[in-house]
Amino acid sequence: MTDHVLNVKNLSVDIPLADGVLHAVDGIDIHVDRGETLCIVGESGCGKSLTSLAIMDLLPKKAIRTLAALDLGGESILDYSERQMSDIRGNRMGMIFQEPMTSLNPAFTIGNQMVETLHRHRNISGRAAHDLAKHMLEKVGITAAAQRLNQYPHQLSGGLRQRVMIAMTLLCEPELIIADEPTTALDVTIQAQILLLLQELQTEFDMGLILITHDLGVVARIATRVAVMYAGQIVEQGTVEQIFDNPMHPYTRGLMQCIPVPGKTRPGEPLGSIPGMVPSLIGRFTGCRFADRCSLVTDACRSDDIALRDATDATQAYRCILDPRAMAKVA
Amino acid sequence: MTEVMINASGVTRNFSISRGMFRGKQLLRAVNGVDLTVTRGEVLALVGESGCGKTTLAKILLGLLPQTTGSVSLCGTPIDTVPRLALARMIQPIFQDPYSSLNPRKSIGSIIGLPMRVQGENDQQLIDRRVEETMDLVGLPPRLLNAFPNQLSGGQRQRVAIARALVNRPQIVVCDEPTSALDVSVQSQILNLLNDLRQELNLTYIIISHNLAVVEHIASRVAVMYLGRIVEQADTASLFQNPQHPYTRALLDSVLTPDPHLGLPNTQLGASYPNPIDPPSGCAFHPRCVNAMPHCAARAPSGQAHKAAYVECHLYDGTETAKAG
Repeated sequence: MTDHVLNVKNLSVDIPLADGVLHAVDGIDIHVDRGETLCIVGESGCGKSLTSLAIMDLLPKKAIRTLAALDLGGESILDYSERQMSDIRGNRMGMIFQEPMTSLNPAFTIGNQMVETLHRHRNISGRAAHDLAKHMLEKVGITAAAQRLNQYPHQLSGGLRQRVMIAMTLLCEPELIIADEPTTALDVTIQAQILLLLQELQTEFDMGLILITHDLGVVARIATRVAVMYAGQIVEQGTVEQIFDNPMHPYTRGLMQCIPVPGKTRPGEPLGSIPGMVPSLIGRFTGCRFADRCSLVTDACRSDDIALRDATDATQAYRCILDPRAMAKVA
Repeated sequence: MTEVMINASGVTRNFSISRGMFRGKQLLRAVNGVDLTVTRGEVLALVGESGCGKTTLAKILLGLLPQTTGSVSLCGTPIDTVPRLALARMIQPIFQDPYSSLNPRKSIGSIIGLPMRVQGENDQQLIDRRVEETMDLVGLPPRLLNAFPNQLSGGQRQRVAIARALVNRPQIVVCDEPTSALDVSVQSQILNLLNDLRQELNLTYIIISHNLAVVEHIASRVAVMYLGRIVEQADTASLFQNPQHPYTRALLDSVLTPDPHLGLPNTQLGASYPNPIDPPSGCAFHPRCVNAMPHCAARAPSGQAHKAAYVECHLYDGTETAKAG
């Protein structure tokens, strides 16, 4: 149990609004080991980005975070002050966001920003920092690294900017990287390259990686384990093979049928879809959150909160009261 | 059923880019000699990386941008001679982001009815009836008639955008990334809807997308664009089973199908997309091509028919001469 890079127990994020409290994230337990990729997948508004912000303690001021445990590399960082947290962020815990243009400062050169990171966390400056930054740019496959250091973010293409972000994140050799939709803004050809790069570097530096995405194709190709989120809760988790080959929860099954797959779905034939909409999370919610959209719904689904329970294999868990074998017959 | 809806030949569109106060203008060829024929009922997909000119080409077809050279005709009439309103009755766009393409201060009913009023329709009862019909067609409940865009979900907004495009019953619909702003479960609903509407109204689609899985599902023919040129064009099935151009192969390799037993692909596309202001010599793809030969940098390949596809690549030069001889 001690080799978890990150261990989160019972994380909730509540946002007080004019017409009640929005329970955006409700009781999330996740853990990541070294060298492991955890993908958090879900639709917009399911709380996956808030989960990552809560882990880094970067939530908007209005949001209230409650946690039972938050351990990084075996030590609890739950009670850390703002100053201690900012020592950790960008140092032991790296972040990569969706849009590299907004996370890089347009007024400073790439080199300036990379050297600043080293100065802040590692107390390295001058020539040494410059050389380390150049080395890291080469590491992420950027050619003519010395010239790039003197360029501004707007002079680089989207793919290059995301490489720079990755290089910056790696400078302090973090134990954990949290990447929130790192390739969504990029072209498909560049997406494959960036994901491959992330995977190689993760193996090399033996880091834990949390990847947040809505793209099931990305999940299938890069994840070790998958957590499927729906309306603020994890509805199913397991290894990537378990989730894709043997999904248990009706929502996971529905998602799998929604995506066209060349060679599997027949062109022109209707795709599966999930009717209805995500429920409002304002106020207290009892019962299964997917009940309104589920084709297998029973009265029991709405009467009580549903707990995560283990599938036949203990590494897979799902939040549904139905028996998967009975579901397989219906589906 | 082989009525030609769109015929474009040798279409180019240049933009002049300012390089600063004293340095004169530079030419950017966004679309560079495109030939295209689309027949009724066809779904043509334009695919390619950002900056390859697919949106510029769509704008030319919509009559929103004049072409620099070449000719475009819709239903047999040259596009430059069709009046603006008549053109809007023939061809309509659906844009990517339903959050920014709907006016937040207008009700759904008036958004969908606007194209009719623009066409000079004053009979409010007729407009109302047609708006309700169209809302029913795209699966929007009538109670949303007086709602505003901010009360709708992403999928519903995209349905409004589709209803607005269809209210005047156009022949051709140009969809620019119709599903990429939507969630997976909503994306499939919109794709199913587009498919049903095509059959019901006998529409012709031009779909711009970077999601090749979506393209495979909905398109009947695919045109792959690279730096303003169509480098390969073929039926969807043959393009996906038997891609000819090295760029098409690399694009197909980078599609991440949800199969956990395959790892990440290595597309070998090394260098990044070239700067369109300063395109590479010869074949524009040669700096990234795994099959590049010395003469690829010197001469641009000419288009040729190879098997079921139209392809622009020196790899197939030999086969062409063999055929000719």
